[in-house]
Amino acid sequence: MVKITIDGKTTEVERGTTILNAARDLGIEIPTLCDHPELTPYGGCRMCLVEVEGIKTLQPSCTLPAGNDMVIHTDTQKVHDARKFILSMIFSERNHFCPSCQVSAGDCDLQNSAYDESMTHWPIMPNWQPYPVDASHPFIILEHNRCILCRQCVRACGELVGNFTLAFEERGADSNLIADLGLPLGESSCISCGTCVQVCPTGSLIDRWSAFQGKETELDKTKTICLGCSIGCGIDILTRDNRLVRIEGDWDAEVNGGIICDVGRFHPMIEERERLLTPMIRANGKLKAATWNDAISAAAQKITNSKGKLSGVASTRLSMEALNKFKDICDAFDAESISTTEDYSAISAVFDLAQSLGTAFESKIDEIKNADCYLMIGEDTTKDHQVISFFAKRQIPVGAKLIQISDNSTGFDHFANESLTIGKNSQSEFIEAIENLVAKKSSDIDKIAKSFKLDLSSLENVVEMISSAKKVVIIFGSRTNYDNAAAVLDSIISLKNQLNGKLVTTKGNINSVGASAIGINNVENVVGSELTIMALSDEELSQSFSKKFDKAPFSIIFSSYISPLTANADIVFPVQNWLEQGGHFINADGHIFEAKAALEAPEAVFSSEESLSKLADDLKVKKQKSWRELVKETPAPVTIS
Amino acid sequence: MKNKRSIKNGTLPAEQRIVLKRTGIIDPDSIEEYIVHDGYFALGKVLTEMKPDKVISILKESNLRGRGGAGFPTGTKWGFVAGIKADKKYVICNADESEPGTYKDRLILEGDPHSIIEAMVIAGYAVGADEGYIYVRGEYKLVQTRLLNAIKQAKEMGFLGENIFNAGYEFDLHIHAGAGAYICGEETALIESIEGKRGEPRSRPPYPTTNGLWDKPTLVNNVETLANVAPIIRNGAEWFKSFGTPSSAGTKVFNIMGNVNSTGSIEVPMGITLRDVISIYAKGLKDGAVLKLAQTGGSSGSIIPANLQDVPMDYNSFANAGVSMGSGALLICSEKTCVVDLAKVLLNFFRFESCGKCNPCRIGNQRAYQILLRISEGLGSMKDLDDLQDISKWLYEMSNCGLGQTAGSPLKDILNHFRAEVEAHIVKKECPAGVCSMSGISPTSN
Repeated sequence: MVKITIDGKTTEVERGTTILNAARDLGIEIPTLCDHPELTPYGGCRMCLVEVEGIKTLQPSCTLPAGNDMVIHTDTQKVHDARKFILSMIFSERNHFCPSCQVSAGDCDLQNSAYDESMTHWPIMPNWQPYPVDASHPFIILEHNRCILCRQCVRACGELVGNFTLAFEERGADSNLIADLGLPLGESSCISCGTCVQVCPTGSLIDRWSAFQGKETELDKTKTICLGCSIGCGIDILTRDNRLVRIEGDWDAEVNGGIICDVGRFHPMIEERERLLTPMIRANGKLKAATWNDAISAAAQKITNSKGKLSGVASTRLSMEALNKFKDICDAFDAESISTTEDYSAISAVFDLAQSLGTAFESKIDEIKNADCYLMIGEDTTKDHQVISFFAKRQIPVGAKLIQISDNSTGFDHFANESLTIGKNSQSEFIEAIENLVAKKSSDIDKIAKSFKLDLSSLENVVEMISSAKKVVIIFGSRTNYDNAAAVLDSIISLKNQLNGKLVTTKGNINSVGASAIGINNVENVVGSELTIMALSDEELSQSFSKKFDKAPFSIIFSSYISPLTANADIVFPVQNWLEQGGHFINADGHIFEAKAALEAPEAVFSSEESLSKLADDLKVKKQKSWRELVKETPAPVTIS
Repeated sequence: MKNKRSIKNGTLPAEQRIVLKRTGIIDPDSIEEYIVHDGYFALGKVLTEMKPDKVISILKESNLRGRGGAGFPTGTKWGFVAGIKADKKYVICNADESEPGTYKDRLILEGDPHSIIEAMVIAGYAVGADEGYIYVRGEYKLVQTRLLNAIKQAKEMGFLGENIFNAGYEFDLHIHAGAGAYICGEETALIESIEGKRGEPRSRPPYPTTNGLWDKPTLVNNVETLANVAPIIRNGAEWFKSFGTPSSAGTKVFNIMGNVNSTGSIEVPMGITLRDVISIYAKGLKDGAVLKLAQTGGSSGSIIPANLQDVPMDYNSFANAGVSMGSGALLICSEKTCVVDLAKVLLNFFRFESCGKCNPCRIGNQRAYQILLRISEGLGSMKDLDDLQDISKWLYEMSNCGLGQTAGSPLKDILNHFRAEVEAHIVKKECPAGVCSMSGISPTSN
């Protein structure tokens, strides 16, 4: 601990604490433009300069570590003069014409700083030379005129997301933000995660979809989770007048620490599917609007008549409450099967393994953040569960190794130290071979390389990287059939134990674990039943999935959107989408989240849980076990809490 | 001011060669010739007879100060690095000599590459490092070729690599070529560059002595500083102190250029005056012109008006006179030089060579250049002078690294010593030296 005095207040802080953080703890605000709590201090903007007794020049508080008996002044004339000088310089560098800027009047750190220093104008002429606007990207606008060259976006792109798309070209007065080696943003290696937009302190990187739709201070903010995949990233949903304006990562969220991907941030903005707004019943071959009462009665009658000859299909985007209700209905009428909307059955294999091992064998997603060797098997996490790939990629510059085993080329090709192409059917065998090589049970590496058609040097490199790593994390996600997944998992567990490593598997949708944990994990849909009840929520289903039910004799569907499935259905109920309803979800590493509704639903459109309850009440279905009880009874691959 | 220097044998009166002693005498591609001229003798002595702390104490006694420009005591710096416990340390030779007009390191490296290799191994032994980098300016192709050859020879002869002089000491040396950025001469930017990153200075503290290359304790020394190491070990600290002045022992290599009859490179004891340099080595100003000013140390150095030409050129005397010694470039300017034009050239250099990381330097230099451009075209206003003063003050106060901090110093010096001449450009719309075009079109004229 060291003793420091800031503006007359004396405090003790840990050695190494920056003056900026020490001041914040004392409640002393020091303005910054390039600092961000999640990024490495940079010391570029010089707004946070303070006077330190005994040091001739002003010192940047964001990078200066506290030293014993330091006496610091943040509120002197010299400090204020320095801030005004810096602000004048920045305002004169490019074209900061506030009235025409989307973040003006509240959302701009530059403008706010100037107001804080009581500036009414800047004394040096603006630049006037126009800078380009890059509008080539589908979600992001890069407005160079507003850029203050603080590098928050560059650091976020590299340090948080590990994508290294953004960088600076040239130097000195010609310094300029670029994507890749000067490509338009829309043609660059940008993966549209939008983290740069979220950290930009000015209106230089703006989100095309929310631009000019209101200041942040005028928006309502709902802290909840993203339902885009099984990670369950913390997000803030920003709305105004019951309209979605923007989605941002929640910096305080434990699982993702503020980073989200394009699926979470931008895809909800471009939702184009048509909403279902009223229940419908098929009459004379055509779906006709009906009242809730009529539709519920018709559905109840059909269900009662089809007892023992019906099957259920539930979306794994449904909340625990809705899934529980759905299961109650199906169980009460002796459903032939309750399956999920998921196309792949790795999740069943994972749960069956948990059943046979009797214990959780997977680690928390958090473990990915600090490993030094990653073994990616199967799924391409640069496309699905992207935040997991961010955690791995951003470790590469600090020396982590990335090994990919896949049957296909993936987004990791440019990042992986070794990409090994191994067909799905031989992956299990290959992982066993790796284990033997690492454990030195096998020495014939040449033969192994030949049999899997690999370069000997690549295989040697892989074995070396795995052997010398301190912490290996195996990331498995598989779009494959049950037998394959089960076989690969067996060999992965064996390798993990051999390496004393960690395993994390991706799980499809946000509530895949929850569905499996209450016994809804049959992926083989029964399509020939006399009646099929489908609770689809707002899930967008593939053509091949929809096609399976083309010939379903009779179907009752709960869905937010019109789709080929609802077009074929016999009774349709509208339900709220994810933005309109809350509920509990269990993510890939077993964390129970409660999601909150951010928007009000259209009139007479209820949540999936409420809609299913209406049906259950009409059918007089009794509530069986609660989902929490069911979850407790089921051995899961992860600890659920 | 009387200059009490001892005049010894040299190529010209008062010139005394320590670091350039072999340059031009031996074949730089021949390690044998280097050895014949006392080469690797100091290294042998260090490795077989001396403990690391003894080496450092000799350096401290010798009063050797860093020749890169800042004049930090070399022995003290070595002591810092030696005093830190770490599993790995590095020694870096800063040969990214980019200060305009400075080419002393190039002379040493092209003419006597082994002297730097020898010094680096000694430094490595003294501070406890086993690996070194020579960061060579990208344009110095011949230096790179000669260094590569010298390293190869030294390895073959056992002066580099494992078990040097059978003393159980190991040292490996690499060359890293720069890519043309002035800023990479700044030690932390240089380290970033070796690490493969964009050459931008780091925030200090921490300093390279504790957290340098790949976060390990790192000793960074200039070429000329290192070139003094072996001679000091061979001849002792007292011998070294017999050159120069009490505050600044030894010699300094100066590169003379400008409006003089003879330009070139000299190595003279510290404490010589500018007047002596001009009259003895530069053979006076061209066409018998009068000295107007001199700039020491390249673009970031000080502008010295003629009335300071009798200040002894050593660290303390210069510091007392409020000017800096710099890297060794001496730009001598006659009355035909316009200070506005000179400042414009310097600021154009800085706005281009600033790394762009911190706002005061990136924008301040650009704005100052634009203001000077206006003044040189006859479009300046008196407010411009206040802005220039402000920029130069805040550049020093607020910049992240030495480049930004010193970029404003020529500006400050010009406004201090030659304000009237700048005002003439603004008020009378004329350039007293007749250099500036004054051809600007005023916003109010048609």
